Amino acid sequence: MSTSSTSAMAPESQGRIRSDVSTVKGLRRVADNFYVRRVAKALFTVWVVSTIIFFLIRLLPGNPIEQYIARLIETQGMDYENARMQAAALFAIDLDAPLWKQYLDYLLNLLRGNLGVSITSPGTTVTSIIARFLPWTIFSVGIGLILSFTVGILLGLMMAYRREGLLDHILTIFASVVSSIPNYLIGILLVVWLGVQWKVLPIAQMRGTLSPGVTPSFTFAFLYDALFHAFLPIVTYVLTTVGTWMLSMKGSTIGTLGEDFVTVARARGLKDWRITTAYVGRNAALPLFTQLTIAIGFVVGGSFLIETIFQYQGIGYVLSGAIAARDYPVMQGVFLIITMSVIFANLLADFLYGWLDPRIKVG
Amino acid sequence: MTKGKLDWQMDEHQNGKAPLSLQNVHVSYATRRGKVQAVRNVTLDLHAGESLALIGESGSGKTTLGLAIVRLLPETAQISPGVILYRRDGREVDILKLDRNEMREFRWRDCAMVFQAALNAFNPVLKIWAQAWDTAKAHGWHDKEAVRRRLVELLEFVQLDPKRVIDAYPHELSGGMRQRVLLALSLLLNPQVLILDEPTTALDIITQRTIIKLLRKLKEDQGFTMIFISHDLAIAAELADRVATMYAGRIVELGASEDIFYRPRHPYTLGLIRAVPTVTGGFEQLFSIPGSPPDLIDLPSGCKFHPRCAFATDRCKLEEPELEEVGPGHTAACWHWRAVEEELQRNPLHRGVLSVLQAISFNAEEEAVS
Amino acid sequence: MDIIRGPLRWLGTTLKLMTYNKAGFIGFLVTLAILLMALVGPFFVPLDTKTKLDKIYQPPSTEHWFGTDHQGRDIFSQIVHGGKDVIYVAAVAAFLSTFIAVTFGTLSAFAGGAVDSVIMGFTDIILTIPQFPLLAVLAAFIKLDNLTLLGVFLGLLSWPALLRAVRSQALSLKERDFVEAARALDLGAGHIIFRELVPNMMTYIVISFTLAMTAAVYTQVGLVLLGLVPVSSSNWGVMISLAWTQGAIFFRDAMWRIMMPILAIAVFQLSVITMTRSLELAFNPRLRTMA
Repeated sequence: MSTSSTSAMAPESQGRIRSDVSTVKGLRRVADNFYVRRVAKALFTVWVVSTIIFFLIRLLPGNPIEQYIARLIETQGMDYENARMQAAALFAIDLDAPLWKQYLDYLLNLLRGNLGVSITSPGTTVTSIIARFLPWTIFSVGIGLILSFTVGILLGLMMAYRREGLLDHILTIFASVVSSIPNYLIGILLVVWLGVQWKVLPIAQMRGTLSPGVTPSFTFAFLYDALFHAFLPIVTYVLTTVGTWMLSMKGSTIGTLGEDFVTVARARGLKDWRITTAYVGRNAALPLFTQLTIAIGFVVGGSFLIETIFQYQGIGYVLSGAIAARDYPVMQGVFLIITMSVIFANLLADFLYGWLDPRIKVG
Repeated sequence: MTKGKLDWQMDEHQNGKAPLSLQNVHVSYATRRGKVQAVRNVTLDLHAGESLALIGESGSGKTTLGLAIVRLLPETAQISPGVILYRRDGREVDILKLDRNEMREFRWRDCAMVFQAALNAFNPVLKIWAQAWDTAKAHGWHDKEAVRRRLVELLEFVQLDPKRVIDAYPHELSGGMRQRVLLALSLLLNPQVLILDEPTTALDIITQRTIIKLLRKLKEDQGFTMIFISHDLAIAAELADRVATMYAGRIVELGASEDIFYRPRHPYTLGLIRAVPTVTGGFEQLFSIPGSPPDLIDLPSGCKFHPRCAFATDRCKLEEPELEEVGPGHTAACWHWRAVEEELQRNPLHRGVLSVLQAISFNAEEEAVS
Repeated sequence: MDIIRGPLRWLGTTLKLMTYNKAGFIGFLVTLAILLMALVGPFFVPLDTKTKLDKIYQPPSTEHWFGTDHQGRDIFSQIVHGGKDVIYVAAVAAFLSTFIAVTFGTLSAFAGGAVDSVIMGFTDIILTIPQFPLLAVLAAFIKLDNLTLLGVFLGLLSWPALLRAVRSQALSLKERDFVEAARALDLGAGHIIFRELVPNMMTYIVISFTLAMTAAVYTQVGLVLLGLVPVSSSNWGVMISLAWTQGAIFFRDAMWRIMMPILAIAVFQLSVITMTRSLELAFNPRLRTMA
């Protein structure tokens, strides 16, 4: 990018029309590139979301800064000036500067990773809170999503091959039921039945992200402990999303099985396994990648309730605590980071899709 | 495999026996309304090096018969009774008795089928090379270099630029190119029999000509054994040594190409030929067979063609005629084939056959020029 | 008489078409039963508010169909009374989000060009923002103590996925012959939209509405569960929320108190979603003319 942009500014001085044309062509090729376009779109979305958040915080009546100032005056007996100064420090905003400067500073702060300081635990930066809790959410949500996508695709494929059979009927009912029950209710049901009624799982010990005394390291014991604590959230994510994948994949596979290229593949004498995986499965799974966009946002958004239910200390747990305590800088920062994770995950899904479907890069 | 030259092999060890013999083959589908009798009582020998055309309206069972030979019919279809014998290198098997894996190996290696809908014949997410390599591997050919060399030769044979095509995705090729790639791919394993289902339908006229020329080359230079399935009589006339007319799932006339087009003995074949539009003739002379193909679930009694036949008598309503000899190597299933012969003497085939012949001579001239 | 017979016949055809999908029809019947229970039930079943210490956490019996809660109150009466608010909020939200999605989705598909790009660009951005945290954060500084306000708030933020679906549906309709014909005859935008498109999109609009309702139930109960919506009335969400915050979910005997509102919500969601299969048939204009 940097080389092409400098050369784009240079052609006039070089005085060569031909190089100008080729630079424009080169630039267009870069701009038309599938990956470049996707990255540009993701960056644009991040910018729009941060801007929306800024104006929500600064301009909305009853916005967090004013509410915080009012609270300081009320509870700590501070005068307005002092309260305002403290608020400005917490939100990393210069309240006296003109709005455009505040906005610019806010964006620059974001770029530097400065998201302000927590109200409830003074001295802790929002960035450090995110760095501490976000990995656990990525860990549990990531495993949950990948697991449910993979299992859903495999089961859906199987259902399509054995459609109208007993297994298909049972799995269809299962998928319809689990995909229509809200995920937090499934979470509560897991606690009630596995933990309390049947006592299969030691619910209390499974809270948190790690057992006391276990520290992150590249050992089996650590991994086991991390999975032990993430088990219930992961099961919930899988249960609540796998049904949708199964049903979509089943429908998509039935459609693909009727395609001519599958018949031709059979006529070519390919082995069944190869046809099922590379010809039917891969093509049937493609449309599901576009659905991944919505699913990622939904699961990450929902993780916030799931983590609260299981007391799993990820970023969602922090967010619900911050909302309860009205810790605005943390709310703002965590919300921004959750949105950015979703955008990033979507970007990954897009890249994967582009890699799997050669047609997408052209159109 | 010799380099630079295609290694066609005609089987000379058959002791004169046909590579493919269909005996009393029936195909039916179970549907909610009842049994669809798509193919009935087909007996046919396909000789080594000959090309046979199956002609008839859509729904006459010709595609079903083609699919039955490679057993690619939907699961609701049943092929019975019937025997489909396949012979190669002096061995003889009944295709219908092959198990799953034997059948898989038989397909493409022994009998390749080029489909009508070549537009969607390729997996959209794999490059042409990967699909060719898949095909070779499935039949135990693991020499990557040799497969690639062979594919390059074949792509050159179908007049495509191998460099451009081999690493292209299907969507990067035009419809005509894809049809030619499929044709090249069908020759990859040097099959003994080639089945072509409407190989030129849905292509523009120039691409059609190219494909026909290629097929002619395959037939004349290499002596390939082929079955053409087509509703286009011109193509059948150009490419076939023998022609079989199908109606309501049965072969109603079978004979050498010349016999069928100059001396048809079945009223249905005659109707098909007269229905061919001509370049010179006005449309008022255009003949079409009255009525529509019969309901395959509820077939008419007697001769299945009698409701649409100008020659039909009471006998036709009651008894179904078997194929009988009407000339050397020429059979027809009609009680009144002599009446057809007389009708032809009174009213010779000018328009229809002329157009077909025009197409042939046009092609011959073209060939001579090039 | 015709005034009565016309709608009756319409209803008859609709019901007949709906029975074509058995699961969908069962879903429809259950949805109907829940709606009746929630809207009419309260007139017949009085809400039990009396604390009865001798009847705490009883399992279901002929006297208390769904058992009793931590104060010995009848759970069944609470379930009957707790549906109204949930369904009302969901309906408001669904109405609003379907309205936005259908209006702008069709507009986007038909206007094309720059309008389409702007609407879709905006939709894509809203779509990537995880809805639930956004609602929760917003709820932290907007007081949602009014049911209608809550519904409007949910509706205003939950249209993007629907809009995308409506747009692609409208795009495919746009290519159909009858719309092309209407355009060729220059029958005007109003005619095209209300005479040609809306009847053909009816299935889609109805299904969008029901699915939007289930989405609204999801977010609504979620917000209540987090204590972000200070709704005072007792509804299914509040029942779960109270059971949860009071730690009843860890108490073995409290099972019926937790299970019943969960079941109520789960059955409602499941039956509404299943019902869409029958709705798809009932509102299909092609099937309707055949029947």
